[in-house]
Amino acid sequence: MNPGAVLTVHSYKGGTGKSIISTNLATILSREGNNVSLIDLDLRAPSLDKVFGVKRREFWVNDFLDGKCKSSDILFDVSKVTKSKGRLFVALANPSIEAIREAITKDRKGEMRALHRLLMLNEHLLEKMAMDYIILDTNPGMSYASINSVAAADLVLVISTWDASDLAGAQGMVSELYNILEKRAIVLMNKIPEQLLIDKAMRKRLADQFKKAFKLPVIDLLPCYCEVLRQERSTIMALERPKHPFSRSLVEVAKRIKEK
Amino acid sequence: MEMSAQRHKLDKVLARIERKIDLILEGVGKGHRTKCAGEVKGAGALDIMTLLSLPDHLRKTALTLIKLGRAIADDVAKETGRARAIESAYLNQLVRMEYVWRKRVGKRVYFSVEEKAKGKGSHPYGRK
Repeated sequence: MNPGAVLTVHSYKGGTGKSIISTNLATILSREGNNVSLIDLDLRAPSLDKVFGVKRREFWVNDFLDGKCKSSDILFDVSKVTKSKGRLFVALANPSIEAIREAITKDRKGEMRALHRLLMLNEHLLEKMAMDYIILDTNPGMSYASINSVAAADLVLVISTWDASDLAGAQGMVSELYNILEKRAIVLMNKIPEQLLIDKAMRKRLADQFKKAFKLPVIDLLPCYCEVLRQERSTIMALERPKHPFSRSLVEVAKRIKEK
Repeated sequence: MEMSAQRHKLDKVLARIERKIDLILEGVGKGHRTKCAGEVKGAGALDIMTLLSLPDHLRKTALTLIKLGRAIADDVAKETGRARAIESAYLNQLVRMEYVWRKRVGKRVYFSVEEKAKGKGSHPYGRK
Protein backbone atom coordinates (compact mmCIF):
# COMPACT_ATOMS: atom_id res chain seq x y z
CA MET A 1 0.00 0.00 0.00
CA ASN A 2 1.84 3.06 -1.23
CA PRO A 3 1.52 6.39 0.56
CA GLY A 4 -1.68 8.13 -0.46
CA ALA A 5 -3.88 5.15 0.27
CA VAL A 6 -7.00 4.32 2.27
CA LEU A 7 -6.99 1.28 4.56
CA THR A 8 -10.33 0.04 5.88
CA VAL A 9 -10.17 -2.19 8.94
CA HIS A 10 -13.14 -4.53 8.85
CA SER A 11 -14.37 -7.76 10.42
CA TYR A 12 -17.42 -9.99 10.30
CA LYS A 13 -18.11 -10.03 14.02
CA GLY A 14 -17.60 -7.49 16.77
CA GLY A 15 -14.87 -7.84 19.39
CA THR A 16 -12.17 -8.96 16.98
CA GLY A 17 -9.90 -6.07 17.97
CA LYS A 18 -10.49 -3.72 15.00
CA SER A 19 -10.36 -0.49 16.99
CA ILE A 20 -7.32 -1.50 19.05
CA ILE A 21 -5.49 -2.57 15.90
CA SER A 22 -6.57 0.56 13.94
CA THR A 23 -5.40 2.88 16.72
CA ASN A 24 -2.08 1.11 17.16
CA LEU A 25 -1.42 0.95 13.40
CA ALA A 26 -2.18 4.67 13.07
CA THR A 27 0.16 5.41 15.99
CA ILE A 28 2.95 3.22 14.60
CA LEU A 29 2.71 4.68 11.08
CA SER A 30 2.68 8.29 12.35
CA ARG A 31 5.56 7.65 14.75
CA GLU A 32 7.54 6.37 11.75
CA GLY A 33 7.08 9.81 10.17
CA ASN A 34 3.98 9.25 8.03
CA ASN A 35 1.01 11.62 8.02
CA VAL A 36 -2.00 9.57 9.07
CA SER A 37 -5.73 10.16 9.57
CA LEU A 38 -7.70 7.77 11.74
CA ILE A 39 -11.46 7.98 11.17
CA ASP A 40 -13.98 6.28 13.46
CA LEU A 41 -16.73 5.04 11.17
CA ASP A 42 -18.19 2.62 13.68
CA LEU A 43 -21.20 4.88 14.12
CA ARG A 44 -23.17 2.14 15.92
CA ALA A 45 -20.60 1.51 18.62
CA PRO A 46 -18.02 4.31 18.68
CA SER A 47 -14.94 3.65 20.77
CA LEU A 48 -12.10 5.94 19.68
CA ASP A 49 -13.50 8.75 21.88
CA LYS A 50 -12.54 6.59 24.90
CA VAL A 51 -9.05 5.95 23.49
CA PHE A 52 -8.35 9.68 23.15
CA GLY A 53 -10.34 10.67 26.23
CA VAL A 54 -12.70 13.01 24.38
CA LYS A 55 -16.10 13.61 25.94
CA ARG A 56 -17.34 16.67 24.09
CA ARG A 57 -16.87 17.96 20.58
CA GLU A 58 -18.78 20.45 18.54
CA PHE A 59 -18.74 18.25 15.44
CA TRP A 60 -18.36 14.54 14.92
CA VAL A 61 -17.91 12.26 11.90
CA ASN A 62 -21.70 11.80 11.90
CA ASP A 63 -22.15 15.55 11.32
CA PHE A 64 -19.69 15.57 8.44
CA LEU A 65 -21.39 12.59 6.74
CA ASP A 66 -24.74 14.36 7.13
CA GLY A 67 -23.33 17.48 5.46
CA LYS A 68 -23.58 19.63 8.61
CA CYS A 69 -19.92 20.67 8.80
CA LYS A 70 -16.58 20.75 6.99
CA SER A 71 -13.84 18.12 7.26
CA SER A 72 -11.65 20.56 9.21
CA ASP A 73 -14.38 20.74 11.89
CA ILE A 74 -14.11 17.04 12.76
CA LEU A 75 -10.34 16.46 12.57
CA PHE A 76 -8.00 17.15 15.45
CA ASP A 77 -4.28 16.64 15.78
CA VAL A 78 -3.09 14.09 18.35
CA SER A 79 0.53 13.95 17.15
CA LYS A 80 1.77 15.39 20.45
CA VAL A 81 -0.17 12.81 22.46
CA THR A 82 1.29 9.96 20.42
CA LYS A 83 4.73 11.63 20.19
CA SER A 84 4.66 11.13 16.43
CA LYS A 85 7.21 12.38 13.91
CA GLY A 86 4.45 12.63 11.31
CA ARG A 87 1.03 14.17 11.86
CA LEU A 88 -1.78 12.06 13.27
CA PHE A 89 -5.31 13.39 12.83
CA VAL A 90 -8.31 11.74 14.39
CA ALA A 91 -12.03 12.13 13.61
CA LEU A 92 -14.43 10.63 16.13
CA ALA A 93 -17.93 9.18 15.86
CA ASN A 94 -20.54 10.60 18.23
CA PRO A 95 -21.02 8.14 21.12
CA SER A 96 -24.37 9.57 22.29
CA ILE A 97 -27.39 7.25 22.15
CA GLU A 98 -29.29 9.80 20.07
CA ALA A 99 -26.52 9.90 17.44
CA ILE A 100 -26.34 6.09 17.34
CA ARG A 101 -30.12 5.92 16.87
CA GLU A 102 -29.91 8.46 14.04
CA ALA A 103 -27.09 6.51 12.39
CA ILE A 104 -29.11 3.29 12.50
CA THR A 105 -32.27 4.86 11.07
CA LYS A 106 -30.69 6.82 8.22
CA ASP A 107 -32.59 6.35 4.93
CA ARG A 108 -31.07 5.16 1.66
CA LYS A 109 -30.58 8.66 0.28
CA GLY A 110 -28.84 9.61 3.51
CA GLU A 111 -26.53 6.62 3.12
CA MET A 112 -25.81 7.57 -0.50
CA ARG A 113 -24.88 11.10 0.60
CA ALA A 114 -22.72 9.65 3.37
CA LEU A 115 -20.76 7.61 0.81
CA HIS A 116 -20.31 10.71 -1.36
CA ARG A 117 -19.06 12.71 1.65
CA LEU A 118 -16.72 9.89 2.70
CA LEU A 119 -15.17 9.72 -0.78
CA MET A 120 -14.78 13.53 -0.73
CA LEU A 121 -13.18 13.38 2.73
CA ASN A 122 -10.60 10.84 1.55
CA GLU A 123 -9.77 12.95 -1.49
CA HIS A 124 -9.42 16.08 0.66
CA LEU A 125 -7.16 14.34 3.18
CA LEU A 126 -4.91 12.81 0.55
CA GLU A 127 -4.69 15.70 -1.88
CA LYS A 128 -5.09 18.85 0.22
CA MET A 129 -3.74 17.70 3.58
CA ALA A 130 -0.98 15.48 2.18
CA MET A 131 -1.91 12.45 4.26
CA ASP A 132 0.12 9.32 3.56
CA TYR A 133 -2.43 6.93 5.01
CA ILE A 134 -6.09 7.08 5.97
CA ILE A 135 -7.31 4.37 8.33
CA LEU A 136 -11.07 3.80 8.45
CA ASP A 137 -12.16 1.93 11.57
CA THR A 138 -15.58 0.65 10.62
CA ASN A 139 -18.34 -1.37 12.25
CA PRO A 140 -18.46 -5.14 11.84
CA GLY A 141 -20.51 -7.15 9.37
CA MET A 142 -22.48 -6.00 6.35
CA SER A 143 -24.08 -2.68 7.18
CA TYR A 144 -24.34 0.53 5.15
CA ALA A 145 -21.48 2.17 7.08
CA SER A 146 -19.15 -0.80 6.77
CA ILE A 147 -19.85 -1.40 3.08
CA ASN A 148 -19.44 2.32 2.38
CA SER A 149 -16.06 2.13 4.12
CA VAL A 150 -15.06 -0.90 2.07
CA ALA A 151 -16.14 0.88 -1.13
CA ALA A 152 -13.93 3.84 -0.15
CA ALA A 153 -10.86 1.68 0.53
CA ASP A 154 -7.76 0.95 -1.52
CA LEU A 155 -6.97 -2.00 0.74
CA VAL A 156 -9.14 -3.84 3.26
CA LEU A 157 -7.58 -5.34 6.38
CA VAL A 158 -9.86 -8.13 7.55
CA ILE A 159 -9.52 -8.98 11.22
CA SER A 160 -10.75 -12.44 12.05
CA THR A 161 -10.63 -14.57 15.16
CA TRP A 162 -10.37 -18.30 15.59
CA ASP A 163 -14.14 -18.55 16.15
CA ALA A 164 -15.79 -20.80 13.53
CA SER A 165 -18.72 -18.47 12.80
CA ASP A 166 -16.35 -15.49 12.51
CA LEU A 167 -14.19 -17.42 10.06
CA ALA A 168 -17.16 -18.52 7.95
CA GLY A 169 -18.69 -15.02 7.97
CA ALA A 170 -15.43 -13.33 7.04
CA GLN A 171 -14.98 -15.79 4.16
CA GLY A 172 -18.49 -14.90 2.98
CA MET A 173 -17.66 -11.19 3.07
CA VAL A 174 -14.60 -11.77 0.93
CA SER A 175 -16.54 -13.55 -1.79
CA GLU A 176 -19.79 -11.58 -1.54
CA LEU A 177 -18.49 -8.10 -0.94
CA TYR A 178 -14.81 -7.51 -1.62
CA ASN A 179 -14.78 -9.44 -4.89
CA ILE A 180 -17.88 -7.64 -6.16
CA LEU A 181 -16.37 -4.26 -5.28
CA GLU A 182 -13.01 -5.41 -6.71
CA LYS A 183 -11.18 -4.59 -3.47
CA ARG A 184 -7.77 -5.84 -2.51
CA ALA A 185 -7.85 -7.43 0.92
CA ILE A 186 -5.49 -9.03 3.42
CA VAL A 187 -6.25 -10.98 6.58
CA LEU A 188 -4.90 -10.54 10.10
CA MET A 189 -5.84 -13.37 12.45
CA ASN A 190 -6.25 -12.19 16.04
CA LYS A 191 -6.84 -13.79 19.42
CA ILE A 192 -5.50 -17.19 18.38
CA PRO A 193 -4.86 -19.52 21.37
CA GLU A 194 -1.21 -18.92 22.25
CA GLN A 195 -0.32 -22.62 22.54
CA LEU A 196 -1.11 -23.10 18.83
CA LEU A 197 1.50 -20.55 17.84
CA ILE A 198 4.44 -21.72 19.94
CA ASP A 199 5.59 -24.37 17.48
CA LYS A 200 6.82 -22.77 14.22
CA ALA A 201 5.69 -25.65 12.01
CA MET A 202 2.23 -25.61 13.56
CA ARG A 203 2.05 -21.82 13.10
CA LYS A 204 2.96 -22.12 9.43
CA ARG A 205 0.42 -24.89 8.90
CA LEU A 206 -2.29 -22.74 10.46
CA ALA A 207 -1.31 -19.72 8.36
CA ASP A 208 -1.50 -21.86 5.21
CA GLN A 209 -4.92 -23.17 6.23
CA PHE A 210 -6.26 -19.63 6.74
CA LYS A 211 -4.72 -18.47 3.49
CA LYS A 212 -6.40 -21.35 1.65
CA ALA A 213 -9.75 -20.69 3.35
CA PHE A 214 -9.77 -16.95 2.60
CA LYS A 215 -7.94 -17.15 -0.75
CA LEU A 216 -6.17 -14.01 0.50
CA PRO A 217 -2.75 -13.22 1.98
CA VAL A 218 -2.66 -13.77 5.75
CA ILE A 219 -0.19 -11.20 7.08
CA ASP A 220 0.09 -12.46 10.65
CA LEU A 221 -1.41 -14.60 13.39
CA LEU A 222 -1.61 -12.75 16.69
CA PRO A 223 -2.12 -14.67 19.91
CA CYS A 224 -4.72 -13.69 22.46
CA TYR A 225 -2.80 -11.42 24.85
CA CYS A 226 -4.59 -11.22 28.18
CA GLU A 227 -2.63 -8.05 29.07
CA VAL A 228 -4.00 -6.28 25.97
CA LEU A 229 -7.56 -7.21 26.93
CA ARG A 230 -6.99 -6.11 30.53
CA GLN A 231 -5.72 -2.67 29.51
CA GLU A 232 -7.95 0.39 29.75
CA ARG A 233 -9.48 1.51 26.43
CA SER A 234 -7.30 4.61 26.61
CA THR A 235 -4.08 2.57 26.47
CA ILE A 236 -2.29 2.66 23.14
CA MET A 237 0.02 -0.32 23.42
CA ALA A 238 2.41 0.81 20.68
CA LEU A 239 2.90 4.05 22.60
CA GLU A 240 2.92 2.91 26.20
CA ARG A 241 4.37 -0.58 25.87
CA PRO A 242 6.33 -0.55 22.59
CA LYS A 243 8.36 -3.60 23.56
CA HIS A 244 5.32 -5.78 24.28
CA PRO A 245 5.01 -8.65 21.73
CA PHE A 246 1.62 -7.25 20.63
CA SER A 247 3.17 -3.86 19.78
CA ARG A 248 6.14 -5.46 18.08
CA SER A 249 3.88 -7.71 16.01
CA LEU A 250 1.88 -4.69 14.88
CA VAL A 251 5.06 -2.89 13.81
CA GLU A 252 5.65 -5.88 11.51
CA VAL A 253 2.01 -5.82 10.38
CA ALA A 254 2.35 -2.10 9.51
CA LYS A 255 5.49 -2.91 7.52
CA ARG A 256 3.72 -5.67 5.60
CA ILE A 257 0.70 -3.45 4.92
CA LYS A 258 3.01 -0.85 3.40
CA GLU A 259 4.50 -3.55 1.18
CA LYS A 260 1.06 -4.62 -0.11
CA MET B 1 -0.05 16.06 -41.39
CA GLU B 2 -2.78 14.52 -43.54
CA MET B 3 -3.33 11.82 -40.90
CA SER B 4 -3.72 14.48 -38.22
CA ALA B 5 -6.29 16.38 -40.29
CA GLN B 6 -8.22 13.16 -40.91
CA ARG B 7 -8.11 12.34 -37.19
CA HIS B 8 -9.42 15.82 -36.34
CA LYS B 9 -12.22 15.42 -38.86
CA LEU B 10 -13.08 11.99 -37.47
CA ASP B 11 -13.17 13.34 -33.90
CA LYS B 12 -15.58 16.08 -34.98
CA VAL B 13 -17.86 13.57 -36.70
CA LEU B 14 -17.80 11.30 -33.63
CA ALA B 15 -18.60 14.23 -31.32
CA ARG B 16 -21.54 15.16 -33.57
CA ILE B 17 -22.81 11.57 -33.53
CA GLU B 18 -22.52 11.45 -29.71
CA ARG B 19 -24.51 14.69 -29.38
CA LYS B 20 -27.20 13.25 -31.64
CA ILE B 21 -27.33 10.04 -29.59
CA ASP B 22 -27.74 12.16 -26.45
CA LEU B 23 -30.60 14.06 -28.11
CA ILE B 24 -32.27 10.82 -29.21
CA LEU B 25 -31.97 9.40 -25.68
CA GLU B 26 -33.46 12.59 -24.28
CA GLY B 27 -36.38 12.29 -26.71
CA VAL B 28 -36.96 8.67 -25.72
CA GLY B 29 -36.94 9.78 -22.10
CA LYS B 30 -39.63 12.38 -22.67
CA GLY B 31 -41.76 9.76 -24.37
CA HIS B 32 -41.66 7.61 -21.23
CA ARG B 33 -42.32 10.41 -18.78
CA THR B 34 -46.10 9.98 -18.52
CA LYS B 35 -45.91 6.22 -18.62
CA CYS B 36 -43.55 5.97 -15.68
CA ALA B 37 -44.95 8.85 -13.62
CA GLY B 38 -46.06 8.00 -10.11
CA GLU B 39 -43.47 5.34 -9.44
CA VAL B 40 -42.38 4.86 -5.87
CA LYS B 41 -40.37 7.89 -4.81
CA GLY B 42 -36.90 7.16 -3.58
CA ALA B 43 -36.89 3.72 -5.18
CA GLY B 44 -34.00 4.87 -7.32
CA ALA B 45 -31.60 5.98 -4.57
CA LEU B 46 -28.13 4.93 -5.67
CA ASP B 47 -26.92 3.71 -2.28
CA ILE B 48 -24.20 1.11 -1.71
CA MET B 49 -26.69 -1.79 -1.41
CA THR B 50 -28.15 -0.85 -4.80
CA LEU B 51 -24.64 -0.59 -6.15
CA LEU B 52 -23.93 -4.17 -5.11
CA SER B 53 -26.96 -5.37 -7.05
CA LEU B 54 -25.94 -3.62 -10.28
CA PRO B 55 -24.22 -5.49 -13.12
CA ASP B 56 -20.41 -5.22 -12.99
CA HIS B 57 -20.15 -2.85 -15.95
CA LEU B 58 -22.49 -0.29 -14.36
CA ARG B 59 -21.10 -0.46 -10.81
CA LYS B 60 -17.88 1.37 -11.60
CA THR B 61 -19.76 4.15 -13.41
CA ALA B 62 -22.30 4.46 -10.58
CA LEU B 63 -19.64 4.59 -7.84
CA THR B 64 -17.73 7.24 -9.77
CA LEU B 65 -20.88 9.33 -10.13
CA ILE B 66 -21.58 8.99 -6.39
CA LYS B 67 -18.08 10.36 -5.78
CA LEU B 68 -18.44 13.22 -8.24
CA GLY B 69 -22.05 14.00 -7.37
CA ARG B 70 -22.72 15.74 -10.68
CA ALA B 71 -20.69 15.19 -13.83
CA ILE B 72 -20.62 14.96 -17.61
CA ALA B 73 -19.68 11.68 -19.29
CA ASP B 74 -16.16 13.05 -19.93
CA ASP B 75 -15.53 13.54 -16.18
CA VAL B 76 -16.66 9.99 -15.42
CA ALA B 77 -14.50 8.61 -18.25
CA LYS B 78 -11.44 10.41 -16.84
CA GLU B 79 -11.99 8.73 -13.45
CA THR B 80 -12.75 5.24 -14.72
CA GLY B 81 -10.23 5.23 -17.57
CA ARG B 82 -12.88 3.98 -19.99
CA ALA B 83 -14.00 5.65 -23.22
CA ARG B 84 -16.36 8.61 -23.02
CA ALA B 85 -18.87 6.92 -25.37
CA ILE B 86 -18.99 3.85 -23.11
CA GLU B 87 -19.54 5.94 -19.99
CA SER B 88 -22.22 7.96 -21.78
CA ALA B 89 -24.04 4.72 -22.65
CA TYR B 90 -23.73 3.39 -19.07
CA LEU B 91 -24.88 6.69 -17.55
CA ASN B 92 -27.90 6.73 -19.82
CA GLN B 93 -28.62 3.15 -18.84
CA LEU B 94 -28.58 4.24 -15.20
CA VAL B 95 -30.96 7.08 -16.10
CA ARG B 96 -33.35 4.59 -17.67
CA MET B 97 -33.11 2.46 -14.53
CA GLU B 98 -34.11 5.58 -12.54
CA TYR B 99 -30.96 5.70 -10.45
CA VAL B 100 -29.49 8.77 -12.08
CA TRP B 101 -30.77 12.20 -13.12
CA ARG B 102 -29.91 13.88 -16.41
CA LYS B 103 -30.00 17.58 -17.27
CA ARG B 104 -28.95 19.26 -20.49
CA VAL B 105 -27.21 22.61 -20.09
CA GLY B 106 -26.45 24.02 -23.53
CA LYS B 107 -24.52 21.37 -25.41
CA ARG B 108 -23.52 19.52 -22.27
CA VAL B 109 -25.46 16.75 -20.57
CA TYR B 110 -24.98 16.58 -16.81
CA PHE B 111 -25.67 13.45 -14.80
CA SER B 112 -26.24 13.48 -11.06
CA VAL B 113 -27.20 11.07 -8.31
CA GLU B 114 -29.65 13.53 -6.82
CA GLU B 115 -32.07 16.15 -8.06
CA LYS B 116 -30.33 19.38 -7.05
CA ALA B 117 -33.29 21.75 -7.06
CA LYS B 118 -36.78 22.05 -8.42
CA GLY B 119 -36.72 22.40 -12.18
CA LYS B 120 -33.11 21.25 -12.37
CA GLY B 121 -31.98 17.75 -13.18
CA SER B 122 -35.47 16.45 -13.76
CA HIS B 123 -35.67 12.70 -14.18
CA PRO B 124 -36.81 11.92 -17.70
CA TYR B 125 -38.15 8.50 -16.77
CA GLY B 126 -40.84 9.26 -14.27
CA ARG B 127 -39.35 10.78 -11.13
CA LYS B 128 -39.41 14.56 -10.83
